[in-house]
Amino acid sequence: MPEAPVVASVSGRWSAAKRDHARELFIEITDLPVADPRHKIIRDDLIEMHMPLVEHLARRYRDRGESQEDLVQVGMVGLIKAVDRFEVARGLEFSTFATPTILGEIKRHFRDHAWAVHIPRRLQERNVDINKAIDSLTRELQRPPTIAELAKRSELTDAEVLEAMDAGRAYTATSIDAASGSHAGGDSPYDRIGGDDLALEAFELRESFRPLLAALPERERQIIMLRFFKNQSQSQIAEQLGISQMHVSRLLATSLAQIREGMRDN
Amino acid sequence: MNPNNVGPLPQPSDVTLSFRAITANVALARTMAAALAARTHLTIDQIEDVRLAIDEAVSQLINDCDEQTHIHCDFTETAGTLLIRVGANTRTGLPPATDTFSWLVLAALVDEVTAGADNGIVQLELRIRRPASVTV
Repeated sequence: MPEAPVVASVSGRWSAAKRDHARELFIEITDLPVADPRHKIIRDDLIEMHMPLVEHLARRYRDRGESQEDLVQVGMVGLIKAVDRFEVARGLEFSTFATPTILGEIKRHFRDHAWAVHIPRRLQERNVDINKAIDSLTRELQRPPTIAELAKRSELTDAEVLEAMDAGRAYTATSIDAASGSHAGGDSPYDRIGGDDLALEAFELRESFRPLLAALPERERQIIMLRFFKNQSQSQIAEQLGISQMHVSRLLATSLAQIREGMRDN
Repeated sequence: MNPNNVGPLPQPSDVTLSFRAITANVALARTMAAALAARTHLTIDQIEDVRLAIDEAVSQLINDCDEQTHIHCDFTETAGTLLIRVGANTRTGLPPATDTFSWLVLAALVDEVTAGADNGIVQLELRIRRPASVTV
């Protein structure tokens, strides 16, 4: 079935009364100071009211290996921005105004979380499920799960879980610190990790090791420091940096290989 | 570290893998180690660490081997502990130094690492224990 244009299909399902109601709310909120309790109530109403638009737009990308929930969540960021920026006096339909902002957020998500190599969709989806299972089981068990526990939770065989986790290693998530080195603001997760070179002092090969460590990108260097000089587990590092444990493992593997190569060339 | 660690295994190994000492073969050892770590019911953190550890151990040996040499990997599970032995007939016949980053990495990734050399054969032993909180 060909997809109807988004604005028409969403507005089309809306009754004229509902559209008018949204419009009235936008008019009301325009004159309300943000501190007014009523401002928050109306804002929340408007956001909730337009959630179907986000769901609709997210569904366009349903076959790309990201979970629908994740995409809706990302799209919601766009919706909230749109609600806050919308100027009803300009006479534009809200859905027309909001659609590019929501799509922008969803596309940015894909740009930041691109699959590095082609992975069959089945594996991509499985990978998303397994990552969720890892999160929930880690919370429940208070430790990282085993493959058997993951398999049971995801209703897969051990081999299928291992296969999907291998696929996960081909997945790159560059969003975490895309502008590495250039950020001065202090809102990157890395700013929470203090640089600590003390452990390195005791380390005899530091003369040849230091430049190799310094050659790594900031994030990779931090991960090496946390794992090997601060003895944090991969899961702990993942949580601290807001990335998946599989991603930490992947970055560690690449960094170690790079350091090994450098050592050999010395 | 016991420098004279090369000796018979406590029991016959469950799996033995042997391959020519070239970098392209490291992935074989890695995949095998991960699969056996999963079978030992190690946690996913440990499995990932085992992958990195075998990378490091095998790469170390390959650096000190001619391409025609074979690297031998023995995998044995005993009571929730996965023992991995990696050995080869190396050029120097010397066990790896322990004041290197590489050794620090190995020590951080597994519960126990030892190295030994005997008559030109260098061997690394890695032990990874299943946490008591995992019920099998």
